[in-house]
This record gives sequence, C-alpha cells and structure tokens, in this order.
Amino acid sequence: MKLSSCLKGIRLPRPPAAADPQPLPAPEKVYLPLRQHQGAVAEPKVEPGDQVMMGQVVGASEDFESATVQATVSGTVEAIVQMPDPSGGMVPTVVIANDGADAWIDEPAATEAALASPEEVGATRPSRLLRRVREAGLVRAQVQGRPLHVDLSPPMAPQSYLYMTGIPVVRPIDTLIIKAVDPDPPVCPNASLLGEAGDELAVGVAALARISGASRIILALPSGADASALKAMAAQYEWETASVCQTSYPFAIDHLMVNSLTGREVPTPYGEPRDVGVSVQPLSTALDVGSVLLTGRPVVERVFSVTGEVKKPGVFRVRLGTPIGEVLDAAGGGPSQAGKVVVGGPMMGLAIYDLGTPVTRETQGVFVQSAPQVQHFADHPCIHCGRCVAVCPVNLIPSDLGKLCEFRMYEDAAEQDLMNCIECGCCAFVCPAQRPMVHFLRHGKTEVLAGRME
Amino acid sequence: MNNNLLTVSTSPHILGRTTLRSMYLEMMIALVPALLVGLYYFGAPGLTTVVLAMAAAAATEYLISLITKKPSTLSNLHILLMGLMMGMILPPGAPWWLPVAGGFLTVALGMSIFGGNGNYPFNPVLVAWAALAISWPEAMGAYLEPMALGSGDDWMEAETFLMQLKGDIGTLEMFELGTLWIGNVAGGVGTTGTWALLAGGIYLVIRRLIPWQIPLGALIGAVGMGLLAVYTDERVAEMGFEEFSAYLNIVWLHLGAGSFMIAAFFLGPEPVSSPVTPWGGLLFGLGVGMMTIIVRFWGSPLDGAFYGVLLMNAATPLLDRIRPRVIGKVVSGA
Repeated sequence: MKLSSCLKGIRLPRPPAAADPQPLPAPEKVYLPLRQHQGAVAEPKVEPGDQVMMGQVVGASEDFESATVQATVSGTVEAIVQMPDPSGGMVPTVVIANDGADAWIDEPAATEAALASPEEVGATRPSRLLRRVREAGLVRAQVQGRPLHVDLSPPMAPQSYLYMTGIPVVRPIDTLIIKAVDPDPPVCPNASLLGEAGDELAVGVAALARISGASRIILALPSGADASALKAMAAQYEWETASVCQTSYPFAIDHLMVNSLTGREVPTPYGEPRDVGVSVQPLSTALDVGSVLLTGRPVVERVFSVTGEVKKPGVFRVRLGTPIGEVLDAAGGGPSQAGKVVVGGPMMGLAIYDLGTPVTRETQGVFVQSAPQVQHFADHPCIHCGRCVAVCPVNLIPSDLGKLCEFRMYEDAAEQDLMNCIECGCCAFVCPAQRPMVHFLRHGKTEVLAGRME
Repeated sequence: MNNNLLTVSTSPHILGRTTLRSMYLEMMIALVPALLVGLYYFGAPGLTTVVLAMAAAAATEYLISLITKKPSTLSNLHILLMGLMMGMILPPGAPWWLPVAGGFLTVALGMSIFGGNGNYPFNPVLVAWAALAISWPEAMGAYLEPMALGSGDDWMEAETFLMQLKGDIGTLEMFELGTLWIGNVAGGVGTTGTWALLAGGIYLVIRRLIPWQIPLGALIGAVGMGLLAVYTDERVAEMGFEEFSAYLNIVWLHLGAGSFMIAAFFLGPEPVSSPVTPWGGLLFGLGVGMMTIIVRFWGSPLDGAFYGVLLMNAATPLLDRIRPRVIGKVVSGA
C-alpha cells in the first residue's frame, strides 16, 4: 500500500465478514432490460405471447457496444415495457412470466466444445473466446459497466484525448487485474466469492488473459479476509497477489488501484484502465466467463449483495431480471420507514426511485437506508477548512471547485481541473459544513460539457 | 415498504459525523487544558476576562443578526470559540471593557463586515487583538504575577518573560525551562500553558480537524529561525554560551514564551484564514514560526507570533495557488 493511501481518502467501517452467497428462487416474472450496460440498446428478438426457453436470445444488436440479452427463465413473453435502469433512465424491457420449468434451450452454443481447463483455453484462438463471450452477452459487473467484449479489446481507434500527451495512443493490454475487492463497502459481492477457487475461476482468468493478451495477472485480494484458497490457486497458476485495504476508501476504485498496483496513471476524465494497458475485471465477472466456457450456457444469475437496514443482510444468487423489491423481501424486508435504496455502495451508488428496477448484469448490490438515516446536506458557505483537500485522492482542491460551481463559474472550475474529479465523494463525507460537494462538482461538469457542445 | 416514498439524491449517501458544531466544540475542548492552566495561575481575574470576551462576542453576534435580519449562527459555537480565543490571549485582570471591546471587535470588525463565517480574510481574533494593542497599549501590557489557586487574591503586576528579555538579555538565566513550559509565568490567560496547548493542538491534528502542515511548519520555522537568531546575536555570545545544547535551550525558551504555541496550533490553523493546500500550509506555518522569532529579536513589538499569523493570512490566497499535481491529469506535450 502506498503512503498516499494512508494519508489521503477516508476510513470506512469494516464490512461484516462475507458469507457464501445463498441462492434465491426464480421470481414469477423477470424484467430483462435490453440495455444492461453503458452503450447501445439491443433490439428485441421476441414478441409478446412468444414462448421462450432459458438461455434463448430475447435481445441482440449489431452494434459493437451492445450485449446480447438472454431469457433467464422459461415461460411466456408478456410485454415489452419501459422500465427504469439504476441511473433512472427508461429502457425497453422484456417481461417474461415464469412457467417454473427452467427448461434450457439447446442451442448450438450449448453443445459447442466446453473448455474444461486453462490449457484448453490457451489452445483456443482469442477471437473464438471473444466470440463466445460476446454471444453470452457478458457485461463487466459495475454500474455503467461496458459489455465485456468491448472492455477486453484494446481501444479500437486512437483516443482523441491522448493525442500530443506522450502517452501511447494505442497500447496493447499487458496486465490483467482480477479484483476480489469491492470499492464501496459494505456492498461486497466479490468478497463473498473468495471461496470459489475452482475450475471456473481458472478457466475464466485464463480466458480473460488470453483474450486481452495480458501476460501479467494480478489478483487483488482484500486485506484481512480469508483468501487462502485463492492464494493457493494464484501460486499454482503463477498469478501475482496483492493485498488491498477495502476500508481505506476510495483506493479500490479501478483508476486508483491501477495506479497503486502498477504505478500507471489512468488519464482522466475520459480515460480507462485499458488506455494504459491494464484490464481490471471483478472476480464475479471472471467466474461468469469461466461458467460460460465450461457449460457453454449464458449466465442467468448474479451475485447480489443486500446491505444496510434490512432484517437479514446478505449476499444472494439472484436470477437476472428479478425486481430489486423482491430481493429486499427475501432479505427480510426493508425498514418500516422507507428512506433510500441505493444501487451500488453508500459512497458512489445511485439512489433508485422504483423498487421494480430489476437486477441486471451491471448491478452488484443495494444499500438500504431508513428515512431517519437519510443524510441531509446544508447550504452553509464553505469555511475553507481544507479537510476536503486533505482527503481528495486525486489531489484536487474540492473547496474551490465547489465554490466556483456554486456560483456558476464553470469554465474557471474546469481550468482548475474540475473534469479530473472521480466523484468518489470523500470531500462531501468529511465536509463539516455538510455542503453537497459531489452535487456541485457533477453539476459543474455537466454545465462545462454542455457549454463546450455549443 | 412503501414504493412511493423512496428518496433520490446524489451520492454519497452516508456522511462523516463531523459537523460545524462538533468541529468547533472539539476545538473548544482542545483549548480547555490551556484554559485550566491559565485559571489555575490567574484565578478570578483570568476567568472574568474570558467570560466577558465570550459574552461580548455572543451578544454582538446576536445584535448583528437582529440588525441584518439574518438567522443567528450562535448555535454552531463558532462565535463562542472566537470569544474564547479572544479572552485567552488577553492579559488577566484587564479592565472590564478590554475583553468586551475585544469580543465586540472580533465579531463586528473581524467577521461580520466580511460576510461572516467562511469569508473573512484575516483571523478575526487577531484583527481585534491588533486593534486593541494599538488603541490601549498600556492596558494590553498590564500582566499579573501568576499565583497558584488558593493562595489569596493579592494580585501583583508583573512583566512577561519577553518584556524582561527585551530590556535585559540576562533574563535568560533567570527563567527555568520547566516553569516556563508549565505556564507558571506572567502572560495572557490561556497562552502560558505551553504543554497544555501542545496537547490540545496534537489532539486536533490527530482528529484531522486542523492540517498537520501548519503547526509542523511553525515549529520548524521557529526552531530553525531561532537557532539562526541565537547564533548571530552578539549579546548571547557575550553571555558565554558556546555549546549547541545551550543555544537550543534558548530556542526552547522562546517556544514556550509569549503566544507562540497558541498561534501555531489554534490561531494560525484557524480554518477560514489559513491555506488549504499542503505545501501552502507548510509555508504558512514556516512564515508564522519565522516571523515570531524575527520580531522578537529584531522588531520593536514584544511578540511576533500574532503578527506572523496576520501577515501569513494576507498571503493565504497566494499560498492556495501552490496546488499539488492532479493524479491522472494529462499534461500536453509531456
């Protein structure tokens, strides 16, 4: 751990020890949004009234930045409606009534040679592996994540923001970081998978490395958790392991983890880890890839963490498309005075307004708050105390940026590196005047972009 | 769970437990040890001074909020903290109107005319102190001989260490380092208890309520400049000090004397008027420490700590321009 992470950032309470995921029964109706990632919406391939089998494609698109959507139950398509996604926008969604049979479709993909070991993966062409990942419609497990086949490819075209900067414009991916830590505790789906060291993981990681071309594999493990099984695997397959402290927020965010593990700096605001030759994939995504290659079937479940003020917080294996409200009921129900339901963790998550919002490939968990616990911001002026400067992990001066954005001096703020903010929320967390720092900065960024578009 | 009543807002959805009120309360708590030392040695006159200053500050804020028809900010304790600091730097046993004027000036002249908390360029306590020191130099220079609690109320006027030092360099041999640091000397109500101020200041640094750079810079600046000053002072050389440890002892005396500690840990890092950037804070502290020693050795005022803070307050906007490098910022042509 670098010195900067001791001095910068904030300390969050240690999340409760992760339990193994418990399976939840499939719901009576699943809601499958035709866009479960950042990118393009897929076109529906079914019509209301159609009978579908589990694993049957219900949405697909020619667009590269789009992932195929499969039915996660067998049954009848009821309708195609508009449903909110975690960020609140409306997405066309296929509603399927479950017939309870869970009958798999037997497509050629399912019978295609299952890859049972890392050696077999190593003997397969990367493009073939990539095609299977794309057919399975995998998505990097993160809100606003990309379709996995996009995320694993090096940038298709030179990124315009990298011109004249000295950073190679197209750089092959040489490092793969498998992230068993969760950036935003206590929502920790990855930490509950630490015990799943088996063929799935070996095949998944081998495939991810083969597709991306990475020669160096780093397994980022949470410090203080029992990860002996994964460590043994890492020794067997010659992966490097690194210990990352989950409670020192926000150093498990991709950009900062790439910096601390490889020393490379991901260019902000538009950069991604693959611009500096690193691919960061969550442990659950690696397991998904492994499962797709082993079984030849798409993934229909998602490891979903329910934390906060519910009766029985825990980690569940949820059928994709289950409304979040039903998962909450399975966790014992929320508090009597409903406050907030946040998809993602408490620091960076998105508060949803509709409990019918389904579990998708990009959601990792929810954090529930009762009404009395909901935080309120104040409109006190900045008192210039500098606590936000002391915690900002990317060395901004949030106090100045907040003031500039509050008084509509957006371009001045942009000159002071407003756009490099990663919106981790540390500044708002420590602000004694309880100013809505993240709100100001996001608003400022939006205004700057809008101003530049004109 | 009712589906219609969910709250939607921007992240983060949890906040730290620090509020303005808790922050100012903790700062007051950190001042309590020094205040207790002051009250132990200066008894009733000291208490009167502090209470009058706090009451005057609170009353002024209340009146101003009535006149300007703004909600009073008394509840977040900022005004009381300012009043407390004002009282603590005044001489005990000052005539009653001195702390009252101090409290009034702190709030009215130092704070409110600039727009209240968050907007003033100079530390309001020191603005008021400067006004008082210029207007009533005699009253501001009338200190009491310390008397432990319970040894009567027969107060005698006394000169502070720095006053005596200005007149006679031989004073250096009359004071013991231990006595000076423990607070058993003439001085402002809350400025003499060096150990107590140090403890309170370290508490604030550990709680991350003040940046560590400012006190550290002040200590480095004072020790470094102090050694330089002692080595170049002919009078000290004439007294026959030759060893480094002797020189260093003189510097420790200076750290414990006057108002250096309260300036380094409480008045200097006062949030609004001090820089926020790490290097800016370090330079700010260095400036405070160096000014303290420079004024004491070569200036006409007795103590330079407050002048140092006021001067560096003026430099704060400049120091805030020393920004650290932004991680991930793409530098053109690098």
